[in-house]
Amino acid sequence: MTKDLEHNFVELLEKHQNIVHKVCRLYTNNYDAHNDLFQEITIQLWKAYPKFRGDAKFSTWMYRVGLNTAITLYRKSKRTINTQAFDSVQFKISAEDYDDTEEQQLKLLYKAVHQLNDIEKALVFLYLEDKNYREISETLGISEVNARVKMNRVKTKLKTILNP
Amino acid sequence: MDELELLKKDWQKKDGDYPKLSYNDIYKMILKKSSSIVKWIFIISLLEFVFWSLISFLLKDSKSMQRFQEYDADYILIPLAVLSYVILAYFFYLFFMNYRKISVTDSAKVLMENILKTRRTVKQYVAFNLIFLVLSVIVVLFIEFDKDQLLINQAQQAAANGEAFKFYATIIITTFLLLALAIGVLLLFYWLVYGILLKRLNKNYRELKKLDI
Repeated sequence: MTKDLEHNFVELLEKHQNIVHKVCRLYTNNYDAHNDLFQEITIQLWKAYPKFRGDAKFSTWMYRVGLNTAITLYRKSKRTINTQAFDSVQFKISAEDYDDTEEQQLKLLYKAVHQLNDIEKALVFLYLEDKNYREISETLGISEVNARVKMNRVKTKLKTILNP
Repeated sequence: MDELELLKKDWQKKDGDYPKLSYNDIYKMILKKSSSIVKWIFIISLLEFVFWSLISFLLKDSKSMQRFQEYDADYILIPLAVLSYVILAYFFYLFFMNYRKISVTDSAKVLMENILKTRRTVKQYVAFNLIFLVLSVIVVLFIEFDKDQLLINQAQQAAANGEAFKFYATIIITTFLLLALAIGVLLLFYWLVYGILLKRLNKNYRELKKLDI
């Protein structure tokens, strides 16, 4: 029984692992910290899995557990202080996509997002993942109106970080 | 174009750029132990319950307490002991129930609230113990002044020399200074441990609460 559960879980997570990687990418800034957070989110997902009911989509459920772990449960290890730019290590820009100004802008944008606080990052993350305000508000536990208001503030904040 | 839209486009385009962990990599991960703050809070809280229970046990068996038996002070000591056990049980029950409510699948705000609530129970238990400690010291002082022959003799001697006030004041002030020092050290310890452990959680919780005002 447990073996079945383990097998199902690992298979599902293997398939949807990108969600966890994306949370890690936003909340950490180096390779070790990324792996550390990935590990903790996996454990939290696994611990919560027996209570996972099929009525929610596994991926939707993962967003919640992943973000909760990153915002609330995870204790940043000392390694996180090492601020080697994660993007330059992990994500090589492919030649055909290369556009100098846009690429420069994107670099600055990713940097700006990293400067946001944990809650703002969560909002941005869900927005980037194309979640609607209802889902955002439910994941964070705030009202939909307030999620919208905050999102607008984050947009302004990003603008100011980019154009001081 | 809106900056975020530009970012979104790129974010979704990069979907294939993430590391791919294999089935075995993930399987190995689920066998490892969590190091989440909830786990630490649980361990530290249990240690606190053990610490305070041990303190009351050790005090009961200490020599000065055994001397107390001779003073016929049971009428006050037994109710105090019973009270402390009942309160320990009550707080432990509350702590455990709150702990069980912590679920990583709740919304971020509810999750944070439940963690903080669990913490608060232990904090209240510690506060209760500190108050209990101060009260006990006061009770003990009264009984000592009333029953301890050595102390009574010294008090009479001091009174004969016209220094009764100085005598009582010295004992009372010394006792309270020691007590204040002990409490100060404990509070500093708490402030450090929980300050480090809960700093981020508190900050994020405040941020979320601010959004809902």
